[in-house]
Amino acid sequence: MRIPVVLVLILLTLPFAQASSESSWNHEFESGYISTKPLIIEDSVYVRISGFWTGEERPIVAAFELQSGNERWRYTSQTSLQHDLTPLLFVEQGSGDCGQWDEFLIVGWADGKITAHSPVNGSVVWEHQTEVDVLGITGRMALEGDRVVVPTRLGLSELCLANGSELLDINTGNIGWRNGVTITDRGYVFGDELGFLHEVNRNGTVSSTYLGEGKIRHAPIDTRHGLFVHLQTSEGSTMYLNGSIIGNVGHSPAIPILHEDRIYAATSDEWISILCHEQTCEINSTLPFHSNGELAVHIADSGVEVWAQSNTPAGGWGVFNQTTLLRMETTSFDTYGTAAPGFGNGAIALGNDAGLLFVTFQSTTESKPSITSDTNPFKTVHYVLILLFFFLTCASFAVQDLKRMAKIGSTFLLLVALAAVPELSIKVAEQTAPDGEVEWNNSWPDEWKGTQIILFEIDGEEQVIGGLEAQDTVYELTVLACEELNITTEIEQQYLGAYLVSFNGMVGDGWEFTIDGKRVPVGMAVAELDDVSIVEWRPV
Amino acid sequence: MSAIGTHGPTVSPAVMLLLNVALFSVAIWLLVKPQYKNETWLWPLLMFVGLAAGGRVALGFIPNVMPVTIMALLVGSKFGAQRGIAFVILVTLLSNAVLGHGWWSLFQILGWGSVAVVASGIRVHDDENRLSMNRLTVASLWSVPIFSIIVSLSIIDSGMTVTGFGIYLINGVLFDVLHVLGNVFFAMWFGHWFDRLLDMNQPQQHLVQEENEHVSTF
Repeated sequence: MRIPVVLVLILLTLPFAQASSESSWNHEFESGYISTKPLIIEDSVYVRISGFWTGEERPIVAAFELQSGNERWRYTSQTSLQHDLTPLLFVEQGSGDCGQWDEFLIVGWADGKITAHSPVNGSVVWEHQTEVDVLGITGRMALEGDRVVVPTRLGLSELCLANGSELLDINTGNIGWRNGVTITDRGYVFGDELGFLHEVNRNGTVSSTYLGEGKIRHAPIDTRHGLFVHLQTSEGSTMYLNGSIIGNVGHSPAIPILHEDRIYAATSDEWISILCHEQTCEINSTLPFHSNGELAVHIADSGVEVWAQSNTPAGGWGVFNQTTLLRMETTSFDTYGTAAPGFGNGAIALGNDAGLLFVTFQSTTESKPSITSDTNPFKTVHYVLILLFFFLTCASFAVQDLKRMAKIGSTFLLLVALAAVPELSIKVAEQTAPDGEVEWNNSWPDEWKGTQIILFEIDGEEQVIGGLEAQDTVYELTVLACEELNITTEIEQQYLGAYLVSFNGMVGDGWEFTIDGKRVPVGMAVAELDDVSIVEWRPV
Repeated sequence: MSAIGTHGPTVSPAVMLLLNVALFSVAIWLLVKPQYKNETWLWPLLMFVGLAAGGRVALGFIPNVMPVTIMALLVGSKFGAQRGIAFVILVTLLSNAVLGHGWWSLFQILGWGSVAVVASGIRVHDDENRLSMNRLTVASLWSVPIFSIIVSLSIIDSGMTVTGFGIYLINGVLFDVLHVLGNVFFAMWFGHWFDRLLDMNQPQQHLVQEENEHVSTF
């Protein structure tokens, strides 16, 4: 019996090594997030890393062999220090009025630079500097003929593909962020952080329309019924079609995408399918889901699939058809994420906030990716073993074999305890956590009352902010507040979740947080917040 | 040493090296210190050290389930407190080389060492030096609070109150239950096998002799 027990123990450890046996590869970048879609072009995968960079670390763009995962080249920007959220853009070779060009990869940077790279070795073919106001380029670029249209921090630039020379420069005076540009029959359209929609005619004239108080953080979608915009507001978000409201939905909208007669959108609260029929576009289906980044449409054998990354600690990708959730796709590395998956040549390339690129090859057809199923195999094996040892214990008891019953029964009890203790221990910790002493500070502005407030004690000094858009977890509130307070953070994505390493480069003996004065027995990524909470970060 | 954190003082690499060398020296001294003329323990004990450290590292992903406690009980009971302490020092140094050294290593050695010392008095072997499964099962239970309380002392710092320490202990009770169940599991499945390993160098006739030489001179 001892040998079977040893085999069972080995079996229990197998799920930890499962990823290596699949037809896939992965690459974990030393730091940073993958916030934009990896591109699969022919036999290469191109990906970029975003982050807030301090010290020696800098953002990179890298190319990998699709089949093997071997790195072909990497280009590091020494000057871009803020989050780089412009999707990579691959350009086929061609020619136009302003010259000829070979195929290359165009990269827009948060320091306002645009670089064109050889896909073979990453060398810079040409580069161009656009205007900067704290940030530079963060939105989606677009191609038109022999030129690339780039949404800049304050407007828009049009560059010649052959040599990067500037053909048009528009300055609206308003700043934009993730302000992707769309090409329409009349010209170019993009939004800004003040809720204005700007239409640029090809002759350079600009007309601006105020939609409402909010932020336009995606490339407007050109439908047959007019422009669709998903405006981010302080109360949530509002969807506009041709200037009219068609729906109010959740917070932090994702970047909507158009396919055939439907627009797909998402927020922190729901996934949305909007049907554009003969008369208008209207919400056709909503499902509870949490996605805040890019969406992707994939044409599988079974039909249209819309992939949305779940921006939650558990991560994973929701795969929807036109109206409903088909399945969740998960990997062994899931965590927060906002990047759309890249598809091509029978492969899927997935990236997440842990800076992990995961490439897997679809089985025989395009319909089924060979990534892991939704079920945690470790838990499944565990529960099967509990059942098995329960029956074996009963059987031993039935035949009055007490010696065997002691052995098998002890295994059964251990397996049950292993299943129950982690959950129970959290509840015990919650019950025994001492009441905190945190309370409202009269020096704080009244507008912060009834909101989430977060306080940092760094190097003996307190920095505090409140009145921010309500966040679900300590992780999300911390990231948001640090952006507002200009506090640099180093956060590592570890096996147990996000781990805060340092504030402003200060590591010390570690950092701990409290919510309303209480320590919580879970990590910041899963520590949930009420709409009215006071979070404190202090050195250990 | 520098700041006090949740895991006790932060120890500099140099101090940690000195500490490890000192602990290792103590273990060697305890091993070579004469203890009657019974020389049958050395290789089984060293093999046991490897097995315990390997088992602890391999099961590191399961909280508080490890074979070390049961093995410390067996070594303490069979070879006495002196060899028992040498055993736990070597196992802790070896396994923590993989799992991580720190202030807590000292307390783990004290915890498991105390278990071995108590087991040398409240033995899990009968008068004929045969392993008693009943005693081993009971020892699986009493060994846990001894180890757990001593290891928990490592978190005490100047800012910790009695209430705070009590809450810390209460939060650990469920994991102590896991420790007990893990001990019982190892006792039931591997107890006799471990015991035979410790006896492997005994001359055949000694295996059936009553042995009194386990009494510690420590």
